[in-house]
Amino acid sequence: MQNHVGIERSREAQQAQTVKIRPRWHMTVLHIVYYFIMVAFLVFYMLPFWGTVMTSFKTNSEVMTSTPITPPTEWTLEGYASAMEELGMPLMTSLVVTIFGAAGSVFLGSVCAYALSKWRFKLNNVFFIALVAATYLPFQAILIPLLQTINALNLYDNVWGLVLVHSVFGMPMCTVMMRGYYADVPDALIRQAMIDGNGMWAIYRKIVLPNTMIATITTFVFQCTSIWNEMLFALVLGGYDSKPATIALNELAGTMAAEFNVQMAGSLILALPVLVLYIFMGKYLISGQMSGAVTAS
Amino acid sequence: MAAITIKDMSVSYNKGKSYVLDKLNLTVQDGEFCVFLGPSGCGKSTAMHCVAGLLEPVDGTIHFGEELMTEVSGGKKKNFVPPQERNIAMVFQEYALYPNMTVRKNMSFALETKKAPKEEINKRVDTMAKMLSIDHLLDRRPAELSGGQRQRVALGRALVRDPQVFLLDEPLGNLDAKLRDQVRYELKKIQTQLGITTIYVTHDQTEAMTMADHIVLMKDGHIMQEGTPNELYNHPNCEFVAGFLGTPQINLFTVRVTEVNGALVLNADSFSLPVPVELVACLKPYAGKDVHLGIRPSDLLITEDGLIPAAVESIEPLGDAHLVYVRIGEQVVVVKHAEEEAPAAKSLKLSPNPAKLHLFDPSTEKRINP
Repeated sequence: MQNHVGIERSREAQQAQTVKIRPRWHMTVLHIVYYFIMVAFLVFYMLPFWGTVMTSFKTNSEVMTSTPITPPTEWTLEGYASAMEELGMPLMTSLVVTIFGAAGSVFLGSVCAYALSKWRFKLNNVFFIALVAATYLPFQAILIPLLQTINALNLYDNVWGLVLVHSVFGMPMCTVMMRGYYADVPDALIRQAMIDGNGMWAIYRKIVLPNTMIATITTFVFQCTSIWNEMLFALVLGGYDSKPATIALNELAGTMAAEFNVQMAGSLILALPVLVLYIFMGKYLISGQMSGAVTAS
Repeated sequence: MAAITIKDMSVSYNKGKSYVLDKLNLTVQDGEFCVFLGPSGCGKSTAMHCVAGLLEPVDGTIHFGEELMTEVSGGKKKNFVPPQERNIAMVFQEYALYPNMTVRKNMSFALETKKAPKEEINKRVDTMAKMLSIDHLLDRRPAELSGGQRQRVALGRALVRDPQVFLLDEPLGNLDAKLRDQVRYELKKIQTQLGITTIYVTHDQTEAMTMADHIVLMKDGHIMQEGTPNELYNHPNCEFVAGFLGTPQINLFTVRVTEVNGALVLNADSFSLPVPVELVACLKPYAGKDVHLGIRPSDLLITEDGLIPAAVESIEPLGDAHLVYVRIGEQVVVVKHAEEEAPAAKSLKLSPNPAKLHLFDPSTEKRINP
């Protein structure tokens, strides 16, 4: 019997091989076209990045005399030093706003997601639909009243004003993302924890949170990247003293007389944390966005 | 430990348009092992969830001993003790072990929530773990355990708390047959030892028959019959109960009660049986009418002078007995032949045990004989 199966298998393998040996000519041509297009796109996307990296390591005078894509003849960190002078404080501001803003929105989103996915109450679905709708709200639509509110709270040109705004406006997205994860926590686990003597909050703290750490990390990373890259709130609410790095970078481009090496160095400094996050957390991020998307629908 | 008293409890998921449970009345005695038995969708799990406080009925009361746990009338909640304050332990079919905790932590979780002293917790967990032979698994996480081990942990976690009521929702459903027998035996042993009032939900009549002190057989939100396993098996009050308990199922015949020379006879197409003396009185009103006659496979005996002629269709050996499928008239029925040798003849004569005939009214399906 086993021999039989073995023979069958080797026959199949042979057939597979014959297919490989005789490729059809139009398939080959098609492959060449595919690869050509893919390489063209790759070059198109990578060339500016390559140019940015090369320029950032050049001296200002070499920038003037060479094309952006040629490697520097003399490697220097001059550009980075000048960029850091301008970006130092704004980077700190960005860091604080990002960490606290992301933490705030993840916390609020997590609590909302828990309540919406695991507890039945009146208008449960209405709340959820309202939250989903809120994620589609264009921020410029509410910019003026928001500015007035922040002014009235005396939080204009204040790091904590930005933290507050990001916490609140990030919350709907966090809720939608985390609700998908929490829905996967079996209801029996919640009931069991109730019977074991725990109330709603204790269950959240002891059962739901520890079993959905990946959801929390994913959502946190997602929020971090979007707050770090954010410019609109930063521009309108950041003022002068607490402007985040995105604004400072923009000013770097505008005020300096075409010091491209400094601008490119600044861009890379700003991009670095997000790149690092994506490299280490990309796996979680992709699965997280997928799960949120599927379960929310 | 406490008795559980349920009075006029109704449950509806659609504001009274239809009832999952309809005016349920039930008392589970202190220390009793009570099994809620019935086909799926009969409301047995719903009833248990109400006792646990995980569900609110729309009407009725639930007491643990003297303590009022749930009181709802006309959809208005008057008294309701939340599940976490009822001092109950529950085992779910899916076990619901906390994946982020070790076995020890799973077992001690409820006691820690109650803020019991640490030494006391450790002592109780160790004793219970030893009792269930899971003491070598205490440092593992649920994901590293087999199905049977998870089952034991779930039981241990429930028992370690010394609850006043112990609820089990089809806890053996996910185990293979051999393990199920073993856990069933252990569970019953531990329950007897600890004397905790227990409600056990299952659709498996073997589990019910072997473990219960008290079976509550339900169908469509109503209690069909309750009593000891023996009462239900030997005196089913309706056809449904007779058919639900016992494997293989009870054989049912439609027979006509006729009066011949002043004596009552049960007449079918291919046989007729004299009515035993003790049944004459209750069958008198049915003279000239049809009734349903139920005979369990083990109460049909193969004899030389039997009154029911039967043709053998097939034989299933069970080792110590044989299930003989025979044709009587148009109908195929089962005979449990408690002999090591299978009957050799192709045509047999059967005689029912006259003390074990079950007679039912065909229109109401209720039992006729006392």
